[in-house]
Amino acid sequence: MPSLAIENVSVDFGGIHALKDVTFALEAGSIVGLIGPNGAGKSTLLNCISGITRPTRGLVRLDETMLSSMSAASVARHGIGRVFQHPELVADLSVRENLMIACHGSLHYGLLSEFLRLPNVQRQERTAAEKVTEVLARLGISDSADTNVRSLPYGHRKLIDLGRTLLMDISFLLLDEPIAGLNDSEVARLRDVLLDLRKELGLGILCVEHNMPFVSRLCDRLVVLDLGQLIANGPPAEVLGDARVMSSYLGEAVDA
Amino acid sequence: MIANLVVGGLAAGCLYAMVGIAIVIVLNITDIANFAQGEMAMLTTFFAYWLMDGVGLPWWQAVSIAIVFGLVQGIIIQQVVIRPLIGGPVLSAIIATLGLNVVLNSVAGLIWGHQTYTFPSPFAFSPPFLIGGVPVSVDSVVNIAVGLVIIIGMTLFLRFTWTGLGLRAASQNQTVARLMGVSITRTSAIAWGLGGLVGGIAGILAAPSLFLDTNLMSALLIKAFAGGVLGGLNSLIGVFLGCLALGVAENLTGAYLSPSFADAITFIIIIAVLIMRPEGIFGRVRVRKA
Amino acid sequence: MSAAADIIRVSKPRTSGNWGPVLGGLFLLLACAAPFGLNGYGLYLLTLTGIFALVALGLNLLTGYAGQISLCHASLFGVGAYATAILTQKAGLPYLISLLIGALLTTAIGALAAIPALRLKNIYLAIATLGFGVVLQKIIFEWRSLTGGGGGLALAAPIIGGYEVGATGLYYLTLAFMILGLLGAWNVSRGRTGRALLVIRESEIAAGSLGIHAPRYKVTVFAISAFYAAIAGGLFAYLVRYINPESFSVGLSISFLSMVVIGGLGTIGGSIVGAVFYVIVPELLRGIKDAPGLAFGLLLVIVMVFMPQGLWGMLRRLWRRS
Repeated sequence: MPSLAIENVSVDFGGIHALKDVTFALEAGSIVGLIGPNGAGKSTLLNCISGITRPTRGLVRLDETMLSSMSAASVARHGIGRVFQHPELVADLSVRENLMIACHGSLHYGLLSEFLRLPNVQRQERTAAEKVTEVLARLGISDSADTNVRSLPYGHRKLIDLGRTLLMDISFLLLDEPIAGLNDSEVARLRDVLLDLRKELGLGILCVEHNMPFVSRLCDRLVVLDLGQLIANGPPAEVLGDARVMSSYLGEAVDA
Repeated sequence: MIANLVVGGLAAGCLYAMVGIAIVIVLNITDIANFAQGEMAMLTTFFAYWLMDGVGLPWWQAVSIAIVFGLVQGIIIQQVVIRPLIGGPVLSAIIATLGLNVVLNSVAGLIWGHQTYTFPSPFAFSPPFLIGGVPVSVDSVVNIAVGLVIIIGMTLFLRFTWTGLGLRAASQNQTVARLMGVSITRTSAIAWGLGGLVGGIAGILAAPSLFLDTNLMSALLIKAFAGGVLGGLNSLIGVFLGCLALGVAENLTGAYLSPSFADAITFIIIIAVLIMRPEGIFGRVRVRKA
Repeated sequence: MSAAADIIRVSKPRTSGNWGPVLGGLFLLLACAAPFGLNGYGLYLLTLTGIFALVALGLNLLTGYAGQISLCHASLFGVGAYATAILTQKAGLPYLISLLIGALLTTAIGALAAIPALRLKNIYLAIATLGFGVVLQKIIFEWRSLTGGGGGLALAAPIIGGYEVGATGLYYLTLAFMILGLLGAWNVSRGRTGRALLVIRESEIAAGSLGIHAPRYKVTVFAISAFYAAIAGGLFAYLVRYINPESFSVGLSISFLSMVVIGGLGTIGGSIVGAVFYVIVPELLRGIKDAPGLAFGLLLVIVMVFMPQGLWGMLRRLWRRS
């Protein structure tokens, strides 16, 4: 069972200590929520795992492989999927075409073969197209497959963004505020998709979220960050009852 | 002698800087790199020439009127050509300014032909200043003085007037500026007008030494862009200092390294600086949240 | 019931697949027949169009698909021209071999131009590549022993398979390269590279999260566009039979960029249309007394104002309506 380990990760930006000595692990097949007040460093932590930000100290390990010294593209190729807060799709392309982009890792042909469109290339492209059709069906968005992404509503685009990671052969999925901006039915669908993924693919999921009810119903464990430090790590009921967690949220509310 | 080269470089740099400032005001407020800036300035300079040569006005009068012409020219171009392009792809707008470049060049050619004219300067026969024992031509001093006046004036204008504040707001975030009552079309027009005005001043000051013909400003335009990029295109001071640095670097490499390679070497320096500091020496990094 | 029910449906009209190959075949036929109906000058113009189309195809992959602005492509075009000419003339290599080797050399240089692109964007990248182009042009100018410096190089007709290649021969050669280049670029645009380039244009961070290594692809696409420009340059040298460094200036780089924008950024067909516009339209305007430049400039402005996506998009829309 693969496991993603975050060990003593610290990140300093100039004089700002965004993360201080954060340690926890994410097992395959578990769903962990990453919560904390604004500015706690949650997005920074996700960026460290994805390879967008390099930790100043500490490391990120996928079993024995050191992820923290790799580029973001390499981290992605090692099976770490990332969904950003705001979907960054290619606006001029259709849903299907946007999903085809994500098949990049499963297509193995050289530039010359691509230039000549050899039979090998055609075959692989067809296989990729079939996988895209499957994912469209799984997400329930087959109807809009050939629609230009630009004209689709926000919730829809977030689903497509998630769909991209499904085409990438991932073992871990990082989500940054996945339900922000979604209506109730979209939230329910997303929750179902995530639970399916955990069941079928054994994905380990790390989810940054502000919505407490959503997170406590979905997640096996909650990890709480406050001002860059990890202050709690345990089952939702326990964490949400923790006095330190309460004061980190309440303290923020009182100051505001 | 090095002092001479530096002063000459600063003077040339101030000319680039004026064009650079014109470009940067337009770029920051309307997001369009105006490749027609040089030709607009050239046209303004020709207009001044005509006022002196054809109408017989004295230098100061002709230049003052021409500067207003530059302002008006900028506003007209913004209203007619640029306004329809807002919201479209940026490269399309830039190619449109290239088309405008060709149009203005042709218009000037049609009216005045392609021969070279001598553009008078009231300082042509003044003896050079002596600064610390170094003879400095009056033209150089005027260029530097005007350059300083423009950069200081622009900075003060942007910082301390309501219009200036509106311009700065529009350059940061058009939506928010609109919500606060800033008229975007008006600020765009003002930006382009200012660009035309400052560019025109640059042309009028450059013409006496570079001689007036339809190609007066083409080399200057590239230098202005290069110096602006070196200094950092989102800061007026950056553009100013970058262009000064470019002028001085050119002169020094031309004298001490090789006259024919001065351009190439200067570009190599610029590329090296940019690779180390992609936003330019004084540029501010635009933070983008993942 | 899927969430798709509440989505506004925007259907994308697909061009009926049958007409594409028929039209293509028709154009091919016309293109092959062209030398029999045209005089020397007309053939020259058509060959030049093919050459510029090659440049545009490569440049469109770089700027249209990958979003990287380059103002050094005239210099790469020039390096290709000079490399081919020098290898043929001075080293005595067969023309086609020189063409290929020259192109590979230029590709290596073009990959160097990618270095600024790894750190810079937009106008900053434009100026950096402009500078790169100036340096290349300067090297060509100063290396007199090799390139003839400012005096330029006069070239004898190329020889392929023992036969001297005349205007018609060069035309067919250009046509062949253009068709190959067109198909190749089209294939790349439909494959994983083309898609990767589009993501890189949109957001390098999104590209990284999909496992796409942006720096590698930037170098690749600069190299591809340099290859296209170099082949075009090698053909150009023997079309005009006299090359000098002045011809490969910043102005030409700007023209190349304009060609691609006018034709349609990010489209394959736009590259061809842009080249046609840039070569043929000035010829048509020649008749306008005193002001061909003015008319062309006006046309540029008008096309950009009314068709900011370029001519190809407009042509496709007209085709669909009919």
